[in-house]
Amino acid sequence: MTGTASTLRTEYAVACASLSVGYGRPALAGLDLSVAPGQTLALLGSSGSGKTTLLNAIAGFVPPLSGEIWLSGRLASGRGRLVPPERRRIGMVFQDHALWPHLSVLDTVAYPLRRAGTGRADAQRAARAILDQMGLGPLAERRPGQLSGGEQQRVGLARALACAPVLYLFDEPTAHLDASLRAQILDEVARRRAADGAAAIYATHDAAEALAIAHQVAVLHSGRLAQAGPPAAVYAEPADLTVAALTGPMSVLHAPVRAAGAGRYAIAVGDDRSTVPGTAAPGAASADPVILVRPDWASLAGPGAPDSPGTPDGPGAPVGCGAPDGAGLLPGTVTEVRFRGPHTDYHLATPAGPLLIRNSGPPRAGCGPARWRLLRVRLMP
Amino acid sequence: MPASTDGRAVTVSRAAAAVVTACLIGALVAVPLESLARVAAEGGLAGITRALTAPAGRTAIVHTVAVAAAVTALAVAAGTALALAVERRPARSRLLPRLLVAGPLAIPEFVLGFAWSQAYGPAGLTQHLTGLTLPGLFGPAGIIAVLTVYGVPLAYLAVTAGLAARADPALERAARTAGAGRLTTLRTVTLPLLRIPLLGAAALVFVTAAGSFAVPEVLGTPAGFGTMSTLVYTDLALSASPAAFTELAVLALAMVVLVLLALGPLDLWLARLRPAARTQAPPAAVGRRTAGDRAVMAVIWCYAIVAAGIPMLTLIATALTRGPGLAPVPANWTLANFASGLSGGAAAALARSAGLALAAAIAAPAIGALVAGLARGRWRGPLATVVTLAYAIPGSALAVGIIIGYGRWLDGSALIILAAYVAKFWVFGHRPVQAALDRLPPGLTRAARLSGARPAAAVRTVVLPPLTVAGVAAAGLVFVLAFHELTMSTILYGPGTETFAVVIMNTQDLGGVGATAALALVLTVPVVAVAGLAAWLSRRSLLYVPNGPGSP
Repeated sequence: MTGTASTLRTEYAVACASLSVGYGRPALAGLDLSVAPGQTLALLGSSGSGKTTLLNAIAGFVPPLSGEIWLSGRLASGRGRLVPPERRRIGMVFQDHALWPHLSVLDTVAYPLRRAGTGRADAQRAARAILDQMGLGPLAERRPGQLSGGEQQRVGLARALACAPVLYLFDEPTAHLDASLRAQILDEVARRRAADGAAAIYATHDAAEALAIAHQVAVLHSGRLAQAGPPAAVYAEPADLTVAALTGPMSVLHAPVRAAGAGRYAIAVGDDRSTVPGTAAPGAASADPVILVRPDWASLAGPGAPDSPGTPDGPGAPVGCGAPDGAGLLPGTVTEVRFRGPHTDYHLATPAGPLLIRNSGPPRAGCGPARWRLLRVRLMP
Repeated sequence: MPASTDGRAVTVSRAAAAVVTACLIGALVAVPLESLARVAAEGGLAGITRALTAPAGRTAIVHTVAVAAAVTALAVAAGTALALAVERRPARSRLLPRLLVAGPLAIPEFVLGFAWSQAYGPAGLTQHLTGLTLPGLFGPAGIIAVLTVYGVPLAYLAVTAGLAARADPALERAARTAGAGRLTTLRTVTLPLLRIPLLGAAALVFVTAAGSFAVPEVLGTPAGFGTMSTLVYTDLALSASPAAFTELAVLALAMVVLVLLALGPLDLWLARLRPAARTQAPPAAVGRRTAGDRAVMAVIWCYAIVAAGIPMLTLIATALTRGPGLAPVPANWTLANFASGLSGGAAAALARSAGLALAAAIAAPAIGALVAGLARGRWRGPLATVVTLAYAIPGSALAVGIIIGYGRWLDGSALIILAAYVAKFWVFGHRPVQAALDRLPPGLTRAARLSGARPAAAVRTVVLPPLTVAGVAAAGLVFVLAFHELTMSTILYGPGTETFAVVIMNTQDLGGVGATAALALVLTVPVVAVAGLAAWLSRRSLLYVPNGPGSP
C-alpha cells in the first residue's frame, strides 16, 4: 500500500510519494500512499486533517510543495510538472454536491461528455442512459434547486461517472445526508465501482463508513499518515490512541497488566483477574501501557453473578459469550443501557475506568452492579 | 386574550404601514411622474411628436442612448475582467484592488469631469508636461471615458458579490475534473453563474450613464454635444414659454420611458430569479502570489492613476496655484482660491448641503426600514421594484416632475430639494435594510416572543440591533450621494437655496478655474477622507461584499 519505488508506480491507479502540500506551512507532509486499480481507499480523518487538501492535490487543483503524484503510471504532479485537472481522468464527487445551478440534470451529466468532444445530441443520449441506469431518468429536466439532497448527490455521482474516470475521488459525499440516503449513496458507489473497476479514494470522518466501504483505510491526522492497512487490521490493531479513536468506538482501561506468554495478557481489575488474548502496539511493552478495549471485545455477564455462585444457570448466568464458568469475570457497575436495535450498548463504571460494551440482542441487564468478561485487548503506550 | 389583541395590533400596524408606504410612493414617485405626464400631454400627440422629432430633441436622444450603451459595454467588460482576475486571489490581496477600482465612486461626477478637463484638456497638465492632450476629451469620447470610470466599479462590485453568493469554487472544480479547461470553465460555468449580477450591473450602469448630467455638462456642452439631461437643463434655464416647457416635459418623460424600458422587466425578472440560485459563501481562496497577479495589480494601478490619480492631483495643484497657466511650484502656491471661492454664499451653501444631506441620510434608511418591514410576502418584490425604479428615473426628469407637482407650494424652499433627494436615494436606504432583514432567520422573533417579549419589544430587541450596521451604512451612502447631488439641485434651487454643488458649477460657468478647483476639493476631500477611514476600519467586512444596492 505504501509503495515508493518508482517501478511500483505503474501498477497503481494513483500513487503519492513523499507528498507535501500546503501554503507555507504544509497541510500535508511526507505522504506515501497508493491505490491499485479496482481498489477503494478510505481516507479517514477529522476535519482539518488534510483529507480535502489531499484530494485537491490529486485532482490537480493544488501543486505539491514537494513530492510526486503518479496517475496510472504517469507523473501528474511534482518535479515542476502539473497536469491540469481536466486531463487527469478523475471523477470527483463533492461534499456540497457542486451542481451547477444554471444547468439541468441532463446537461450536468452531459457536460463531461461534451468536454470530451462528443456532440450535443450524442452526449445527451449517453447522459440519459447513465441517468436511467441510476434511476434518475425522471429528474433529467430538473434544476439542482428542485432536487432533494440525496438526489443532488446521486446526480453528482452520475456526473463523475460520465467522466469515465480511472480514479474516483469522493470528498465526504454523504456528510450532509441522513442515514438512509447515506446507505443509498454508499450502495450506489459500491455498485458503480464494482462495475467499472476504477480505483477510488473516499474521504470521510465516519469510521463505520470507512471500514465498510474500503479495501484499505488510511488514517490522516494533522496532515500526516497515521496508519494505513486493511479495515480489520486498522480496527483491531491501531497504531496509537488517536488512530484508535478515529477508527471506531473504544474504551481505555487503566489497570495492572503483564504478559502471560503465547500472546496472552493477565489483567487485574479491582480484586479480580483475567487472562485474555491480545496484541501490543509498538512501544506498549516497555512503559506502563493502557488497555484498549473495543465494545465488541467484552461481554456482559448477568447482574449479581458473583453473589450467586451456586446458580450458574439462573438469571445470573453469563450472557453473550458462552463462558463456561465464573472464572475471569471482572467487576463493574452498569450506569446506562442503550438499546440500538440489532445490539445493545452497556456503559459500565469499572475500577479500571469507564467501559463501553456492545453485545447483540435486546438489553439483558439493567443498571446496577454487574460482572463482565474481557475477550481480547490491545495494549497501547 | 392577549393573543388576539396582539394579532389585532399586528394587523392594524400592517395596515398603517401599508397606508404610509402607499402615501410615500404616491408623493415621491407617482405625483412627479403624473405631473410630468400631464404637462407632456398638454400639446397632444402632435406636441409629443414635435418635441421628440425636433432636431435638438432627436439628437439628444440619440446621443444619450449611444453614450449610455457605449459606457455599459466598456464598463461591464472591464469591470468583469478585473473582478475575475482579482477576486479569486488570496483574501488579503483583494482589499487594495477593490479600493483602487471603487475609489472614484467617492468623487462627485462633476468634480471628476472637471478634473479630467484640467488634467487632459487643452492647457492641462499633460499638455504642460508632454505636449499631449486627450483627443475628443470635450465631446462623446471624453464623456464616455469619465462615465466608464463610474461604471467599472459598479460592474466590479456586482461580479464580486455574484462570485461570493453564487460561484462556489467547487462548481468550477467540478467543471475542471469534468474535462473543461480554464477558458471553457469560464465560458460554461462562471459567466453563466454571473449572468444575473452582470445583467443587473449592466442595467445599473446604463441607467446611471443615461441619467448623468454633470459629466455631459462639463465635457459635452463646451463642444456643443448635448444629451437629454443637459438639454432639459438648458431648456429650463433659457425658455420661459409654456410650449417650450411642454417640450421639456416630453423630453423628460422620454428619459423615464427609456430607462424603464431598460430596467423594469429586468428588475421584476431578477427579483423572481434571485432566491433560486443561492449557494453558501465560499471559503477564501488561497494560494501564492504569482507573476500573473502582479501583472493584474500593475494594470489596476495604471487604471486608477489615469482614471482618478492624475486628474485629482491636477485638481489639487490647480486649487493651490495662484493663477491658470502658472506652474504648480511652491513659489506659486496660495490659499486665495479657497478664500475667493468660499466668499459670498458658498459657505452658507456648504452648510445647507450638509444639512439637506443629513436629513436625507436619516429619512432614507428610516423609510427603507418601514417599507422593508412591511413588505413581506407577495408585496416584497413589487415594492422593491418600485423603489428601484424611483432611483432609475433620471434626476432631470424627476426634478422637473417635482417642480410641476410641488412647485406651487414649495417653490423657493429647500424642502423641495430634500423631497427630491429622498425620492431619488430611497433605494439606498431600502435595499441594505431589506437585505439585512432577509438574512434574519425567521425563528428570531418567535424565540423572542416565546421568551416573553411583546411584538414591539421583540422588534426592538432582536430585529433592530442586527439592522443597525446596514442602517448606518445606508445613511452614510445616502449622505454622500445627497451631498454630491447636482442634477436635481440645479433644476430645483432658487435664490437662497443653492446647494454647494450648484455653487461650484456656477463658479465654473463663470470661468473661475482656481476657485472651482478649490471648492471641488472642499466638496470631495472630506468624503474621500471619511470613506477611506471607514474602508480602513472595516477592511475585514469589505472583503465580503454582500448583495447590496449595487445589484438592483
